[in-house]
Amino acid sequence: MSPFNMRRRRFIQNSGFFLTGISLSACGFAGGSNSSQSPSTPEATSTAASTAGGTLSLYAWADYVNPEVAQAFTQQTSIKITSDTYDSNEVLLAKIQAGGGAGYSVIYPSDYMVKQMIDLGLLEPLDKSKLSAVYDGLADNFKSLYYDPDNTYSIPSTWGTTGIAYNSKELKSAPTDFESLWQLRDQIKGRLTLLDDVREVLGMSLKSLGYSYNAKDPAQIKQAYDKLRELKPAVATFTSYDWRDQMLSGDLLVSQAYSGDALQVAKENPDLKYVVPAGGCTLWNDTVALLKTAPNKEAAYAWINFSMEPENSAKITEAILFGNPLKTVEPLLPDEIKNNPGWAVPPELLAKTEKLEPLDDATQKIYDDYWTQLKSA
Amino acid sequence: MSAPTLSPPAPAYPTRRLPNWLEPMVLLAPGGLWLAVFLVAPVGIILLLSLAPDIKPDDFNRLAEIGLGPGNYLNVFSPIYLLVIWRSLLLAFNSALLCLLIGFPVAYWIAVHIPKRWQNLVLLAFVLPLWTSSLLRTYAWITILRPSGVLNSLLGVLGLPAVQLLNSYTAVLIGVTYSFLPYMVLVLYASVEKLDRRLLEAAADLGANATQTFWRVTVPQTLPGIAAGSLLVFITSLGDFINPDLLGGTSGLTVARLIQNQFLGATRNWGFGSALSMVLILGVAIGIALLLKYGDRKAADI
Repeated sequence: MSPFNMRRRRFIQNSGFFLTGISLSACGFAGGSNSSQSPSTPEATSTAASTAGGTLSLYAWADYVNPEVAQAFTQQTSIKITSDTYDSNEVLLAKIQAGGGAGYSVIYPSDYMVKQMIDLGLLEPLDKSKLSAVYDGLADNFKSLYYDPDNTYSIPSTWGTTGIAYNSKELKSAPTDFESLWQLRDQIKGRLTLLDDVREVLGMSLKSLGYSYNAKDPAQIKQAYDKLRELKPAVATFTSYDWRDQMLSGDLLVSQAYSGDALQVAKENPDLKYVVPAGGCTLWNDTVALLKTAPNKEAAYAWINFSMEPENSAKITEAILFGNPLKTVEPLLPDEIKNNPGWAVPPELLAKTEKLEPLDDATQKIYDDYWTQLKSA
Repeated sequence: MSAPTLSPPAPAYPTRRLPNWLEPMVLLAPGGLWLAVFLVAPVGIILLLSLAPDIKPDDFNRLAEIGLGPGNYLNVFSPIYLLVIWRSLLLAFNSALLCLLIGFPVAYWIAVHIPKRWQNLVLLAFVLPLWTSSLLRTYAWITILRPSGVLNSLLGVLGLPAVQLLNSYTAVLIGVTYSFLPYMVLVLYASVEKLDRRLLEAAADLGANATQTFWRVTVPQTLPGIAAGSLLVFITSLGDFINPDLLGGTSGLTVARLIQNQFLGATRNWGFGSALSMVLILGVAIGIALLLKYGDRKAADI
């Protein structure tokens, strides 16, 4: 054989190594891409000054950093903003624990994650004197939440429910509760998605059995798992965000969804609706918090104040359609939002909601084993 | 004419006083350092974590307290996870088989029927999709396979019943096969291209029909390519994450998704996730070892 061929063969073999590397590294692209994604501009980590001015790096849920508001902030303060997004609290925590969060100042963890982060010593106690306007604006029911009773480390920034998005045109009877998913399961076979979240999915089943979202009794959890097995054939996939396009295109009929996401979709197509389950669901809130390692803390305080000024906060709420813990914001919102029962949850439904609380390791493992079984069955 | 005299050979380049070991050191240092920092060290860390039972990132500084043990590996062999591993192996095997069935005729056609000067162009066209992001290509499959997607619109036009493919095992198989087919074709092409045509003629002269010629002349000659291509696809699909995650729906968890779940799911059991990763790395390493072994020996044969 010619040396050329020899070389080519060698090349192909070697590219085998190369490709294998790619395939292995592709294993965790959701986290991987995120963790390799250091703040969008290189200066963010190196030149973030400790005084106002310079650059401020935010790590937030998608759409939480409203471009319009960020631009106005930069104009006013000449602080440049860079932001990255995550799609789960666990990704946020993993990145910070792995040391990839060093450049970030402000983060937006959800309730239970705030607790976890406080326990791990990752959050900086806030200087309330610098945020008095924001604290004064908080509605009363956001002043003593279990995860951070005095809002020492975090300020609630958004809240929402986890309910049901559905296509009202194609469904003969509208779902009113999570129990409806079981009743409708033949009609929505292969056109239903549930969140990719162990607590929300098992919790929904627990709730419809009359138990708590935070059940610790293994027998109850098993019962919830068994009930989900009945629903499984109808489930197309477990996804927290990808359902939106497919619901808009008519491929999906029902999705377990976060309120704001569902309301945004409903705004695009009026046939799509969001309902807060009558039997109760989770009530959660995201917060804004400061990392202990935060560079440029003054800029961070400036951003928190600015983005939570009523006008700016209202602008953000109008875009993402999640609830707003600031009582000063509601008067500024248009009626179509204020009168939407999916957004302004009626008090009798709100009373039935539950907050997800962190579980002890042993119970978490039980949940997770059932979750793995459910997904691999 | 002077008699040729041999002058003492002038040194072509100044003699170096460098010790023998230094030159390879200098040449290998950049690559070696790269591998050490970005391959050996991370795998070492994964190995270490995999030996710390149920370790979470919160407990890294308590590693000494937790101690090392095989707990995570024992966990891997519980029935739930064995099922997941088995499913991944099956998927990798099926996609390798499918790639071979589809790829062989293509490689054969390019190598035998396409004029020499066009071959590289056709090959290039085949590899072209690889230049786009794999995520993008998988999203394209979602657009094609979803109930109101391209495929069903096409079937509708032809008056055929719609099919429900997205979020199924079939969709994953389609996605994986599509993703890795170009590799198979490339490897097979290299093999088929070297096929000794005289042997085919000889087989025909000696009365073999097409089927016999194919099985007894073509296949044995291209066997190294078949083995290398299949292993390559097998290895790559074993660790694939994107296709099962985006196209598979509830059809089943694969190892890569399970690993992701351990690192970024609610349990955050990095110890167990690392053990699963080590098992996957081991599986892939065995694959590569086979690839090298078959590749080398047969290369010498031909």
